[in-house]
Amino acid sequence: MPNAILDPTGPVSASTTSAAKPAVPRAPRLASLDGKRVSLLINTKQNARPFLEEVGRLLKNRYGVTLTERTKVNFAVPEPEDVIKELVADSDVVITGVGDCGSCSAAAAADGVVLEAAGVPVAAIITDSFIPTADAMAALRGAPGYKYATTAHPVAALTEDKVKERAAQVLDEVVALLIEDSPTVPNPEDEA
Amino acid sequence: MTAANTDGAAAGDAVATDASTGPDPDEAQRAIEYCYERGWSDGLPLVPVSQPLLDAFLATTDKDSEEIIGALEQVGRDVNVRTAAINAAMAGCKPEYFPVVLAAFEALMRERAARGGGFQSTSGPSPLIVVNGPIRKELGFNTAGGAFGPGFRANATIPRAIGLIVRNAFGIHPHVLEQATQGLPGRWQVCIAENEEESPWEPFAENGGVTGGVSAVSATLTRTMEFVDNRHTPNPEDVLRDFQDTIGRIGSLIFPLTSVALVLCPEHAQMFAAAGMSKADVQNWLIERCGRTGAEFKSKGKAEVARTGFRGEYEGDDAFHKILAGPASIPVIVAGAKNAAISMVVRIFGEWSGTAVPVGEKK
Repeated sequence: MPNAILDPTGPVSASTTSAAKPAVPRAPRLASLDGKRVSLLINTKQNARPFLEEVGRLLKNRYGVTLTERTKVNFAVPEPEDVIKELVADSDVVITGVGDCGSCSAAAAADGVVLEAAGVPVAAIITDSFIPTADAMAALRGAPGYKYATTAHPVAALTEDKVKERAAQVLDEVVALLIEDSPTVPNPEDEA
Repeated sequence: MTAANTDGAAAGDAVATDASTGPDPDEAQRAIEYCYERGWSDGLPLVPVSQPLLDAFLATTDKDSEEIIGALEQVGRDVNVRTAAINAAMAGCKPEYFPVVLAAFEALMRERAARGGGFQSTSGPSPLIVVNGPIRKELGFNTAGGAFGPGFRANATIPRAIGLIVRNAFGIHPHVLEQATQGLPGRWQVCIAENEEESPWEPFAENGGVTGGVSAVSATLTRTMEFVDNRHTPNPEDVLRDFQDTIGRIGSLIFPLTSVALVLCPEHAQMFAAAGMSKADVQNWLIERCGRTGAEFKSKGKAEVARTGFRGEYEGDDAFHKILAGPASIPVIVAGAKNAAISMVVRIFGEWSGTAVPVGEKK
């Protein structure tokens, strides 16, 4: 009887694949953003701050939201539990980004999944080069098919004006991710 | 030329084994292909691992096979001794290398950049592993010419084992969670055994806190390297200025501070030592001088590198901006043959933790 070939992926891999886990719940969407508290979770990547600040400014103009800014502790990894708790307490919605690298795009998706599970709708903004890694991380975190907003890569090298332009372009997608009956993004509950 | 023939090679072919008593190449090939099909390979053939081989690895350590030796929280994965051993065996390690693999992995996971997003990074960083002490000779590490490889089983398979652990145990696969833009040559292939015999200075492990000639491993993540070939001058300061020039290249600088490992050939190291310089003297000479003016950074669009600290102000066009923070930002290792004055500047990804890990002995 020959010996079996041993599997090098470890005992945990089976339990962390997306198929084996129940889907993490997504927060209920808001009826509207009018007067809501918006937290901007800035990941410190080049141009992330002006990008999110412009998104915030446009939301303030359009919906009269109040804005809070927060800087990610470490762009490369998901936020620690205490920060998540504070965000949940302080925010009606969170906007995070800009995921424009291997680790930070994954971390933005991971933060989004955790905050959604805690009841806060999130719009994570990721550059289109990192869709596979954001999707893989969301699936790892139990939220396959997790929805986020995308903007063209790169963001880091854009001029100030171009950053503002991009923020304006992504705004509808961000809003659609956060509220019900969005015209541009299908309701993920329908796909469950 | 050769006829397809399952009974043996065609007449005239060189035959290395006796078909009746030697290993079965066809069976070996099937096992290798099986490993490819499962997605376990880094692209090169793997050694298929059986329980007896795993047992031989586990017998080299006092650690429990279920002990967790590293975790990557962001992907929700960890690795235990057993899984590490399977990957080390697959990489082609001998069982007796396994304590070095464990020490190298522990050293690497001490690095903030490795625990953070390093393995997922667009930079595609690769470990630089440095082995010190008697284990170098005991396990047959190459301590002389061709320090960066290839050609030697211990040097070649131990870093590969780390790469396979990251791939298989942490689940970091290219194009998915691993997002290297171009990666770098020699990724998962660099394990230097320091040339202690021809180094004029203390072993590198001592700089990492392991003294007394104990076998130890140091590791950090790196982003490629550039050689400095300087066999042109008897003046050590000229050679230091040559290093200064290479270390100060703007292309690789993205933050106000950087780190480089200086892998000196014995000839350069001995030249500095003969001039009365300790390792610290070499480090301090370079720490004081490596950098560029604000204007030089600015002309390449990198004014933001010339800031005081990570979020500080631009220091000005004329200000000389130093890029090395201290000795931990420029570890000095001696490696290679004493046959030419060729050294290597290795770009560190993030920062070396400044620690070495003793190789665990089976009690």
